[in-house]
Amino acid sequence: MLNYTNAITEEKSYSSLQMKEIKPVMKLVIRGKKREFLSAIGKSLNLLLPTEANTSSRSDKLTALWLSPDEWMIYSNEILNSESNEYETENLLNKNISKTNLGAVTDVTDQFVLINMKGDKIFDLFETGSPFNFNDFRNKKGSVTQTILAKIDVIIHNQNQNEVNLFVRRSFSQHLFSWMNDSASRL
Amino acid sequence: MFIINCPYCGEREQSEFKAGGEAHIVRPKQPTELSDDEWAEYLFMRKNIKGIQFERWVHTHGCRKWFNVVRDTSNDKIKAVYKMGEKPPTK
Amino acid sequence: MTKNLRVKKSNLIDETYKVSFKFNGITYYGYKGDTLASALLANDIHLVGRSFKYHRPRGIMTAGSEEPNAIVQLHNNTSRTEPNVRATEIEIYEGLEASSQNCWPSVNFDVGGINNFLSPVLPAGFYYKTFMWPASFWEKYEYFIRKSAGLGKSPTEPDPDIYEHKYIHCDVLVIGAGVSGIVAAKTSAKNGYKTLLVDEKPYLGGSTIYQNSEHFKINNQISSSWLEKEINEIKKIENLEIKTRTSVAAYHGYNFLLARENLTDHMPLEQRKNKIRHRLLKIRAKKVITATGSLERPLIFDNNDRPGILLSSAIEKYASLYGVACGEKNVLFTNNDSAYETAISLYQKGINIEAIVDNREEIDSKLIKEIEKNNIKVYKGYTVVDTSGYKRINKVSIMQLSKDGQKVIGSKISISCDCLGISGGWTPAVHLFTQSGGKLKFRDEDQVFIPNIYPSDQISIGSCNGDFTLDEILSTVPKTLKEFLNLKKTDYEDLEIKSSFNKSKRNIWLLPSDKVIGKTKPFVDYQNDATAKDIKLALREGFRSIEHVKRYTTTGMGTDQGKLGNMHALGIIAETAGSKMGELGTTTFRPPYTPLTFGTIVGRNVGEYFDIFRKTPIHAWHIENKAEFENVGQWKRAWYYPKKGENMHDAVQRESKAARDSAGILDASTLGKIDIQGTDASEFLNRVYTNAWSKLAIGKCRYGLMLNEDGMVYDDGVTTRLDENHYIMTTTTGGAATVLGKLEDYLQTEWPELDVYLTSVTDHYATVSVCGPYSKKIVSRVIPDLDFSDENFPHMSFKDAKIGKIKCRVMRISFTGEHSYEINVQANYGKSVWEKCMEAGKEFNITPYGTETMHLLRAEKGFIIVGQDTDATMTPIDLQMDWIVSKKKYDFIGKRSLYRSDTIREDRKQLVGLLTENPNDVLEEGAQIVADMNKSPVEMLGHVTSSYYSPNLKKSIALGVVRNGKNMMGQKLIIPMEDKQINVTVADPVFLDKENKRLNA
Repeated sequence: MLNYTNAITEEKSYSSLQMKEIKPVMKLVIRGKKREFLSAIGKSLNLLLPTEANTSSRSDKLTALWLSPDEWMIYSNEILNSESNEYETENLLNKNISKTNLGAVTDVTDQFVLINMKGDKIFDLFETGSPFNFNDFRNKKGSVTQTILAKIDVIIHNQNQNEVNLFVRRSFSQHLFSWMNDSASRL
Repeated sequence: MFIINCPYCGEREQSEFKAGGEAHIVRPKQPTELSDDEWAEYLFMRKNIKGIQFERWVHTHGCRKWFNVVRDTSNDKIKAVYKMGEKPPTK
Repeated sequence: MTKNLRVKKSNLIDETYKVSFKFNGITYYGYKGDTLASALLANDIHLVGRSFKYHRPRGIMTAGSEEPNAIVQLHNNTSRTEPNVRATEIEIYEGLEASSQNCWPSVNFDVGGINNFLSPVLPAGFYYKTFMWPASFWEKYEYFIRKSAGLGKSPTEPDPDIYEHKYIHCDVLVIGAGVSGIVAAKTSAKNGYKTLLVDEKPYLGGSTIYQNSEHFKINNQISSSWLEKEINEIKKIENLEIKTRTSVAAYHGYNFLLARENLTDHMPLEQRKNKIRHRLLKIRAKKVITATGSLERPLIFDNNDRPGILLSSAIEKYASLYGVACGEKNVLFTNNDSAYETAISLYQKGINIEAIVDNREEIDSKLIKEIEKNNIKVYKGYTVVDTSGYKRINKVSIMQLSKDGQKVIGSKISISCDCLGISGGWTPAVHLFTQSGGKLKFRDEDQVFIPNIYPSDQISIGSCNGDFTLDEILSTVPKTLKEFLNLKKTDYEDLEIKSSFNKSKRNIWLLPSDKVIGKTKPFVDYQNDATAKDIKLALREGFRSIEHVKRYTTTGMGTDQGKLGNMHALGIIAETAGSKMGELGTTTFRPPYTPLTFGTIVGRNVGEYFDIFRKTPIHAWHIENKAEFENVGQWKRAWYYPKKGENMHDAVQRESKAARDSAGILDASTLGKIDIQGTDASEFLNRVYTNAWSKLAIGKCRYGLMLNEDGMVYDDGVTTRLDENHYIMTTTTGGAATVLGKLEDYLQTEWPELDVYLTSVTDHYATVSVCGPYSKKIVSRVIPDLDFSDENFPHMSFKDAKIGKIKCRVMRISFTGEHSYEINVQANYGKSVWEKCMEAGKEFNITPYGTETMHLLRAEKGFIIVGQDTDATMTPIDLQMDWIVSKKKYDFIGKRSLYRSDTIREDRKQLVGLLTENPNDVLEEGAQIVADMNKSPVEMLGHVTSSYYSPNLKKSIALGVVRNGKNMMGQKLIIPMEDKQINVTVADPVFLDKENKRLNA
């Protein structure tokens, strides 16, 4: 049995902001250009991939983020078991997408750390280190952006009023989380 | 710092992008048949215009897509952006 | 010095709140709301510093950020000390300590004052002319010049304060909260634009807020009361954010502006703890409204720099806003109506005015009439020709001006005084506008530069646009706003405005004197001690460009960037050279408008956040086991693991030996990993690597070399075929991001027809590399279900495996030349796999090794490190790696460049091995390689790229690049060092196990 060691072990709470890592959450990057690719995904997952830039879509089990015209990230809405890293969704897509040469499916579960943020100071924190204009984004549930925060690439998904999911590459996550806490401590 | 209108993601800060030099330089299909001079023309020769210049940019910290930009280098105004493979605007 | 010059209550000053502060060691009192300057003036202190070159006594001249003289050092000899602070801007707080800067030993007795009497030998360019020869002496001169100049002192301790950056995106940014800015902000915000209003001062309303005269009314209300109501209203508007103490430092293209928000500088030191001191605002505005106002011009005459000489508008501001009289015997000298506004204001407060000197002759002005009605003497058509008083002005001498204004006539009249207010009219503050790329035009009638061509979506309004009077402002600004913001109407359509200001002005850049210019000191740039005489000298010596005159005379090069005197400098140049002001142009205004501290610029990018660091999933283990770390790109990599008493050399020797004799374990998680999928994946690899990939069987690995289009080695790594259309490529640690970027570039732009997708999985996998004779035993214990027999799992192949329920990939590949395995597992299980290997390897002396040992081991095998043994000038042929370059492939990136006339030269630098004559001599990496020490100059043949002492070979080994090295096998060469020459022999770069027997051992 292997032990599971995730990147961010602390949960941080401030007067109007809470931050923690959510894990294990399956994450896949799926890529494809063909029309059949989109329909095969739709059929396999019962989920329509968002084709409008900077948006997302959601089913009971999965959320899909638009990353580029031929690239999406799919992540599981629920927390999985860390004792296995076999994912049903991945196997299904490997069968229906990769094996049929419709596109590419890549497991990035541990490539990204998912930091969940709640509270009404989220965007004040982002403004201390991101050049992205959050004025419209913050009012639009489901919006997605890939941008820079504290010089680090991040994907930000507006989950709900005052709740976002932030994805950062694992190797950067501890540095970013520390930076975010430093910033949050003065908001 | 420019604002660049990524043809895929919309307006973003320049810091999300990287510049990739002059646009519309096509890699020769049969490099082996070129003379040293012809190959050097492709490899090294680039324009450096004061005025309207066609450039390649990539949205490195966003969608990672390459696209073309028409920029006036004398005042940094971006006149147009268009996708790879599209024809440059004529005016 | 106990005189109290407070005259009346004011809005800004809280007289119930007394504040004590120290200036030059003496304790004084002021009130909350005072600036250091207003508090000093209230204590009758005018002498605050010495000038830069002549060390002339200098006093407070202005009441704002344009101050050239009253520059102080705060909190000397503490961690919070700060030089070059303008006394006119810093608000006093309990415990403030300030001292004069340009004087030694004290402001009252200054040794450098002698320069004033030596001034005939200190002309423009004096420093350049005198101290530039001989050049080698400059350092010595500089020491003394700096010491006597008494420039401010920078702090020597770490900055205790916190700084932050903040991005702001708004629809409309309004810069300046004077009457124009208030009107603009209200109009913008009320019409739905998300608006930000900033002002450098702690209060809103600009100069109109203390305009209490009956002569200036709006809708029948005194202008200040009208404005106060407006201000109260805008504070309630929701989508309007107001920031005071916030000065815009820079205005860049695309309406990107930097502003400094000052949050704690007005607080007592003990209240600043854990608070952000300055916030650098990075503002992106869709539209910008510049309402930065205007700066009053001084007048240029002999000895116009004595303490007690202030701008007329500053005297009014001190009286009306701070309730401070600058003197008891005031004289005003003007060429326009502004000084009469001051005079009326002073008169109302009971401050004595001795006389007003006006260089205009006939003027019909209501303001003048009122002054004369009160029996204040006005000298019309007169000019000041001289002043006296060493540490404070005590007399002005005036004479009548000739009709043409070119000379003085009649006899001299002396007026005794203790304060002289000067007003030369107004200069629009166009600094930010020109920083943004805007082009100015010159308006002849009142000799001002005003905005002309806007480079972005912005507008200048109010006096920074050349509309100086209240009626001009309030009739023009609403119209401008309507057009700029696309509005049908504003709240300011039918204002009834009363303004008694007469716009006439008699502009004379350099006022005439009864003395020849050589005998006078008419200062143009107070801070840098540049006089009109210096400018004329520069022109005589042949300088013509204003940029050259600026640098030669240092006019406008102080920390105030010549905000006061630049226009006069231009005027004097134009007059002397006989050119037109409009054609002459201005010098360049550069950011910052007012100086920024380094702390503000750096923000939070200090200490831990100075640079990004990346950690592998096994990082915590390395820390627990006392690894030393090395920075590789942004990664923190384990460098070596010293045991007690070991230095780096000992540790590396032990680790290297263990890796070959028993087992070593390395954290290779930092290697770049790219997942490649698609039906054209093989074809794609064919095009990007020098060798052939189509025939690589599924489950096999291959080393590849990637070139740039110019044929030079760019990156290398092992790529594994996981499936028919699925590969995983590894790149160097440092090259991961750029390789992926380059591959995407080719896919998107050159070969869009290829069906290939690339996804980075660098962070998804932890990579644990186990090598050495016992590696198989160890890894097979960790993964018992996998068949590790050589038949099933030969070198350069890969297997899918499971540890418990966790999937992983195992590659049998080697960077050390030893039998070795790499386990790639999902990152969150990486540390556990590592620990399992350590446990399983305990009895086989498994030894963790770091990057240093890894480098040594691969050097023994002659494996290159891209970026260490190569730079951007090495082809695979230069590396003696011809074997990896496919002769059959029609094309790959860089192929054509491999037979350019330059790349096929025989005498290029080539990679070779180097063995020292004395096996204990370890070469220095980077050392030069030569053949003949007697040749002059000595010919450099190349340099050492990698060098180690090999514990396995028991001798020193090195790699290097040597011109024509390929044909020099066995030849003797020399490595010249500082104290000796080391003899080396050119050798095969593979030092150990050329037959690769160990791979299967």
